[in-house]
Amino acid sequence: MVVITTKKEVPEVLEALKDVNKIAIISCGTCAALCQTGGTEGLKYWSDILEEKGYDIVVGAVIEEVCDNRVMKKDLRKMDNEIAEADAILTASCGLGTQSIVEVLSNKYPKKPVITANDTQFMGMTERIGRFYMRCQGCGDCLLNETGGICPIATCAKGLMNGPCGGMVNGKCEVGNYERDCGWVLIYNRLKELGKLDLYTKLREPRDWSESGHQREVVFR
Amino acid sequence: MAYSKLGEMLEKGEFILTGELEPEKTCDLSHTIQEAKEMAPYVVAANMTDSPLGIVTINSLAASAIVQRETGLEIIWQQTVRDVNKLGLAGMVMGAHALGIRNVLSLTGDHTNLGDVKEAKPVFDLDSATFVKLVREMVDKKSINGHEIECPPTLHVGAAANPNADPMEAEILKIGRKAEAGAEFIQTQVVYDLDRTIEFLRGIKKYGVPVLLGLFPMKSYGIAKGFDTFVPGVDVPKDVLSKWKGIKTDITDKKAQKEAYDQANYEFFKPFITELKSKNLLDGVHCMAVHYPRIFPKLVEVIKG
Repeated sequence: MVVITTKKEVPEVLEALKDVNKIAIISCGTCAALCQTGGTEGLKYWSDILEEKGYDIVVGAVIEEVCDNRVMKKDLRKMDNEIAEADAILTASCGLGTQSIVEVLSNKYPKKPVITANDTQFMGMTERIGRFYMRCQGCGDCLLNETGGICPIATCAKGLMNGPCGGMVNGKCEVGNYERDCGWVLIYNRLKELGKLDLYTKLREPRDWSESGHQREVVFR
Repeated sequence: MAYSKLGEMLEKGEFILTGELEPEKTCDLSHTIQEAKEMAPYVVAANMTDSPLGIVTINSLAASAIVQRETGLEIIWQQTVRDVNKLGLAGMVMGAHALGIRNVLSLTGDHTNLGDVKEAKPVFDLDSATFVKLVREMVDKKSINGHEIECPPTLHVGAAANPNADPMEAEILKIGRKAEAGAEFIQTQVVYDLDRTIEFLRGIKKYGVPVLLGLFPMKSYGIAKGFDTFVPGVDVPKDVLSKWKGIKTDITDKKAQKEAYDQANYEFFKPFITELKSKNLLDGVHCMAVHYPRIFPKLVEVIKG
């Protein structure tokens, strides 16, 4: 699984950095590196742009798993002098990475802004580099055992529990000009192949949002 | 138990003709009311659409209540699950009853992405089957999630079907779910292909839900051509298009042209409906020819006999 990110437009990032001069860039070496929004590529991309615009890059570092608080605590400690000098931190990571840095640094540097350079898109399945697809929305109540291993929440544009809808034409979805497969037709075809159409005919209850419609956490120790 | 004229006719097994009203992006319902008055003598009830294609119009429930009150024409309130969650829908069902509405058609709704408020959050908390189930719980069990409703609603609830769907079996089995959820009637998407329609109607007959077949009599060649071009998954037969084109080009007198279109619709749909009725596959017809109320006397002829 990869958290898929795309680069924000440069003017949006520059707007967020307009009141600062000295910048520390933290680039994620894991998912964002795969998406070419982080890693060495993302670091070079933002360093070049910001230096050209006259910013002072006090430090630029690629860190594995920026989203892991433990890693960030350890690695940020090693560059504490530079972090102290920087007016702001730019993160070439997913939103988890940005927030991890905020959580790790907010006690020591409560006034230091942490700016994200990326838009976090979705949890993605990788076909190859540059081709990522949303196949899971992390809904918290996995249906895959009933739907032939194809998720209706992620592959149906409407996330329907009882599809397909009237927007399906020749197996394609009305969203995206009938170019993408209808998730429920994929499920129907798969269950038919498996000889399990009884699972297709089952009337499914609506998703239960009582636990997943707000802040979620998994704490087991 | 019947709560409406539609419900009574479904109960008695009488052949039903329903129409369709499509209010627009306006707070003035006078055109819709006029159209309702024109079709009222011929139909049992008329559907009130809910922002089709995701293009925002006046609220369907408000329009349903006002047009029914102003014209006496019974309304089938169309409600999609696109814009309202379960909590909202349950409240609307009670509100609909309080406003005198006694029929609802449960629809998924075209995605917000297709319409003119693309940035809106698509809801789809329920789907068209589970909305049917919600209505039936409220009406039959007088409760929501087991919580009692002090004065419960009484509405008949229907669902949609698409005989043009490919793969057809996926659609047929889906209708089974809607039947299980408690749909009391089915209104179909527009059909032109008789063989396909027969195959589909035979496929869903086992579920025992009365079917009103969706017809779209074409008011003009432009309408026919537009329907063929812009409605995905529905093809107007080529011979129909060429006949309609002939009427447009060959008949210059407007009155004669109108009569020719009306007659051509009659000649196309009469054998279509007669065949389906003879096979005992139909319980009624749902005419979606919005802004074409003058066709109803001819449609009554189509479904007779």
